[in-house]
Amino acid sequence: MKNHGRLPLIAATLLMIGLALSGCSSSSQAPAVTNLSGAGATFPYPLYSKMFDTYNGVTGVRVNYNSIGSGGGIKALTDKTVDFGASDAFLTDEEEAAMGAPVLHIPTCVGSVVLSYNLDGNPALKLDGTVVANIFLGKITRWNDASITALNPGLSLPNLAITVVHRSDGSGTTSIFTSYLSAVSAEWKSSVGAGKSVSWPAGVGGKGNDGVAGMISQAKGSIGYIELVYAVQSNMPFASLMNASGKFVVPSLSSSGAAAAVASDLPDDLRVNIVNSPGADAYPISSFTWILVYKEQDYAGRTLGQAQALKNLLTWVLTDGQAINAGLSYARLPEPAVTKALALVGSMTYDGTAIP
Amino acid sequence: MAQRSHSDRRELIREHAFSAAGLTAAIALVATIVLFFVQLFVTSRASRTAFGLSFLWRSEWNPVTEQFAALPMVVGTLATGFGALLISTPFALGIAIFLADYAGKKVAEPIKYLIGLLGGLPSVIFGLWGLFVLVPLVSKFEVWFGNLVGSEALVASGTTGVGLLAAILLLAIMILPFSSSLILESLLVVPAELKEGALALGATKWDTIQSIELPYVRKSTVGALVLSLGRALGETMAVTMVIGNGMKMPRTLFDPGNTLASAIANQFLEATSPLYVASLIELALILFVIAIIINIAARVILRRGVQQ
Repeated sequence: MKNHGRLPLIAATLLMIGLALSGCSSSSQAPAVTNLSGAGATFPYPLYSKMFDTYNGVTGVRVNYNSIGSGGGIKALTDKTVDFGASDAFLTDEEEAAMGAPVLHIPTCVGSVVLSYNLDGNPALKLDGTVVANIFLGKITRWNDASITALNPGLSLPNLAITVVHRSDGSGTTSIFTSYLSAVSAEWKSSVGAGKSVSWPAGVGGKGNDGVAGMISQAKGSIGYIELVYAVQSNMPFASLMNASGKFVVPSLSSSGAAAAVASDLPDDLRVNIVNSPGADAYPISSFTWILVYKEQDYAGRTLGQAQALKNLLTWVLTDGQAINAGLSYARLPEPAVTKALALVGSMTYDGTAIP
Repeated sequence: MAQRSHSDRRELIREHAFSAAGLTAAIALVATIVLFFVQLFVTSRASRTAFGLSFLWRSEWNPVTEQFAALPMVVGTLATGFGALLISTPFALGIAIFLADYAGKKVAEPIKYLIGLLGGLPSVIFGLWGLFVLVPLVSKFEVWFGNLVGSEALVASGTTGVGLLAAILLLAIMILPFSSSLILESLLVVPAELKEGALALGATKWDTIQSIELPYVRKSTVGALVLSLGRALGETMAVTMVIGNGMKMPRTLFDPGNTLASAIANQFLEATSPLYVASLIELALILFVIAIIINIAARVILRRGVQQ
């Protein structure tokens, strides 16, 4: 009986979208939802703007996305002023409690953070977790330190001071990078820890990826972390990293995706850190970026139409939309993650019942 | 007659309306400032209760452990602001005196135009210039200075060039158009009779400048410098790009540091925990109070100057 009730509703929605597209929607009918709004992370902004632009072309639904930062996105969703938020780090328990209702984490792509450096001749550097942690702790201060040369037998590294460059603004990139350092170094975990902004033991700070990249390109002997997308676009050299299974991996779209492909390690809520992933070909500093939505969509006077439009959008992002990822240097979600994410989208409810 | 009284009444109404509008605008201005303060004070409550006054003199800023304190940023703000003022003031006076008393119109006009242009440049352009031109020069100086004193410790944070010194130099250049053009304006209104009188009494040009013009413009010069200092203290974008954004207490001028404005701009966007946000707002409150104190101090100095 219920299914019978839904079918006409879908038909009606489609009809209304069609009418809206052809510009002759009659005012007597309930308005079809053709506008959705979201706010949050800046990291996936180029991807989202391309995705939502394509989606608008396919369905006529316009999605406004404001890249105001993950913090702002979480706040906007908490204040219920947007349909969805977006964040580079999953919500802490404290943040989730502040939401007042269960929130779903829907991953949209896999992002990686690379170590970029400025050395004469751009040697192909190899590093491992311990060495990276010790550099950022300020314990390894010169490029010809024995622990670095041991990993790079073919290279002659200069007797040059290492300048550490980090982000000065709070960012998901920093959160991913410091989570990695905490995973590979007990000392980092206890003395610094992980977060969107931390108390850096060494180095100078640059604002944004461009700030860090600018600082690296200015200073000989500097090393800093930036997003893979940014490093690829601006032709910056980056280091291979030894992953959890002892293999040196060059950061790339496929090695980022590999980090998320270890299905057994993905929890059903996908609220998971995938740094230092055990996958054989996985690049260790990788992470999902998420779209955040309320599980129960009947809040703050929202209509069923809005809930449906949002569900349709998320489903599209996880399926057809994934084709857009690679072209913009974002790794697409591996199959197990898509399956679990679609299950999460399917669990969205309106007034306690599943959204048709 | 009736015509006349009618127009008088209209005149009166117009005057009242104008005075009321003016009063409203004036009250709105004062109210905005008061509201600013109240808003900052109220929204920083979490931080004020958690850390109390020790927020002002402790120096740990750690978002992971949620320990926040303002001293490194207060030091960074005052050091860069006053450092920039110290460096730029002699240049500002020199430029203003040269343009007012030495340069002919053909020389002065283009220079004045360029100063105006420099003053109108968006600060991000100064920041980019600072990062790509000034910072490498400071870096060379650091290397030279490190070799000179033979101390690695002085330049232990590396010789990237970013740090307090780069910020001071950049701010000095940024506030120069303001202070020099304001001082110039006041030099230009020194009554010609005074200058001519001094010259007629046999004073040299230099004597006239020293004993007539400069004392005459002392008050407005202090005003100009305070305005420039205000700009230096609040400058955000350009400072962020060259100061190194270190949240630790700087030990030397070569160390990376941070200012209150720059720290807020850097971290506010992604600050999520309530205590973190409140602490950043308290930084804004401190900056607000510093601005007020400097303005009051300037007034006190001016009044003393007048009494003497």
